[in-house]
Amino acid sequence: MNTDVEDLLREGMERFTRDLRAPAGMPLRVAQRRRKRLILRTMAGIAAALASGAIAVVAIVMPGADGGGTAEPFVPAAYVVSRVDRALSAAEPGQIAQLTITTRGAAEPGAATATTTAEEWSYGDEWRSVSYSSAGHPVYDEGASSSSVYTLVSHPTRTWARQRGLGRPNGVAQPGKPVAGEHPGSNRVMPRGARVLGPRGCEPGDGAGRLLLQPGLPGIGFSASAPPATAARALRTAISCGILTEAGRQRVNGAEAVELTSRPGSLVSETIWVRPSTDLPMRVVVRSGPGEPAFQLTADIAWLQPTAQNLARLTVPIPAGFRKVPLAEVLGLTVLQAQGMQRPKTSCLPARAGATCQH
Amino acid sequence: MAADRSAAELERFLAERADHLLRTAMLLAGSKEAGEDLLQTAVERLLRRWRRFDGDPEGYLRRTLCNLATDGYRRSGRWRQKERLLRSGLPPPQDATGDVDLRDALVRLLLQLPARQRAVLVLRYWEQLTDAETAAVLGCAEGTVKSAGSRGLARMRELADDWNDMAAMCGQWGQRS
Repeated sequence: MNTDVEDLLREGMERFTRDLRAPAGMPLRVAQRRRKRLILRTMAGIAAALASGAIAVVAIVMPGADGGGTAEPFVPAAYVVSRVDRALSAAEPGQIAQLTITTRGAAEPGAATATTTAEEWSYGDEWRSVSYSSAGHPVYDEGASSSSVYTLVSHPTRTWARQRGLGRPNGVAQPGKPVAGEHPGSNRVMPRGARVLGPRGCEPGDGAGRLLLQPGLPGIGFSASAPPATAARALRTAISCGILTEAGRQRVNGAEAVELTSRPGSLVSETIWVRPSTDLPMRVVVRSGPGEPAFQLTADIAWLQPTAQNLARLTVPIPAGFRKVPLAEVLGLTVLQAQGMQRPKTSCLPARAGATCQH
Repeated sequence: MAADRSAAELERFLAERADHLLRTAMLLAGSKEAGEDLLQTAVERLLRRWRRFDGDPEGYLRRTLCNLATDGYRRSGRWRQKERLLRSGLPPPQDATGDVDLRDALVRLLLQLPARQRAVLVLRYWEQLTDAETAAVLGCAEGTVKSAGSRGLARMRELADDWNDMAAMCGQWGQRS
């Protein structure tokens, strides 16, 4: 037997990595990650608090856990949870989730407060996100078709790009497959008083912060391009994992709604209103907790039938007169602008970053 | 004068070198997923300074990968996880496939080594850098590279010796039966 360890090690490394290929479109994926980080900065106070207070979050979300302190016993709203869960299961991918998202907050602690909006649509593998500046101008319009053709339109630069094979970023689950954080037994009715432990994503220690700040959770998801799952799947995760509990009934937009909310005193407060007639979420509001930099994100959700007219909303239109350029050009400019490495004539951040866009 | 590089240039560079860098990242991180994450983080750092980047991007990425892997390793506390299964749970080597099994076992052991030792071995035997080049990438003295590499290889040799002893023993048992 060959005992030349150095050669064997080299050959072993070769074998171990032999079939590895870098994913296509790495600059785009990296830019998307970068974008997510920039957006996260708008929530710097929240994130910092979460990071430093992870134990507190666990105690709040998993009060029944050993050493949970003085928190009240956790009682999941079993009936509502099971009904919403079933409705969401049926809604996705059968219906199109349409989100109108309003963000109010400062890009950085101490910075001026800005309000920005975005519209997003999610349907199976297809998604589209349009972000608007505080002045209401469209900034970016991006999306992916079911055949993983990614289109990005940059309004400030009046350019657009399209590339195949860039459907969803890394770590994104495909429809029908479980996503990280999804409750495998999400169709079960949870008994009163049951603690939600065990399934991936529901573990104490990382479950709370990750779920409340999970990309894709309507109201706090960064963008339709970033969410690993559709809006329905993300919501189902939060509900199934017991992050939210029932808080009564209210009227929202003239309709009666069941209110599901995170526990009082959470570092991040999240409330979801569910329409009783359909058991589908109709609004999500996320607020920073007491003592944190003010931040509020409101997502109004409509569930659309996949008619031809509604499916057309998932297509990114190319405005007349816009110039087609290589994706790298739009992307490079976007990233560099966002980073402030260069001061172009138009300086924008994605709308949901809560930053202003100067035209 | 600093370079003024375009995003397209970065894309071209990655198209050529990303596969190899990903393999390095995987060896440093221990899994495909962790390797991809490591590489993306490194590329993100490069992207931040790409416009004015003046140097060898591959060297920069390699250095960043090693630093990130070392930091992540320290932070995660995995250094506490001692070498396992390889010594006690090794399957007995089988004839002609023995070398193949040993290669896999060596890689598994590599992934269990402390980050610095692992980085040294990856840079020396995968990237085929010299001790001096490895020291430059890791930002340490050449002597440190030599000692870390030597310790890592010593572990590998111990494993290979045990492996060969087991192979010999299995051969004897095979003859008796």
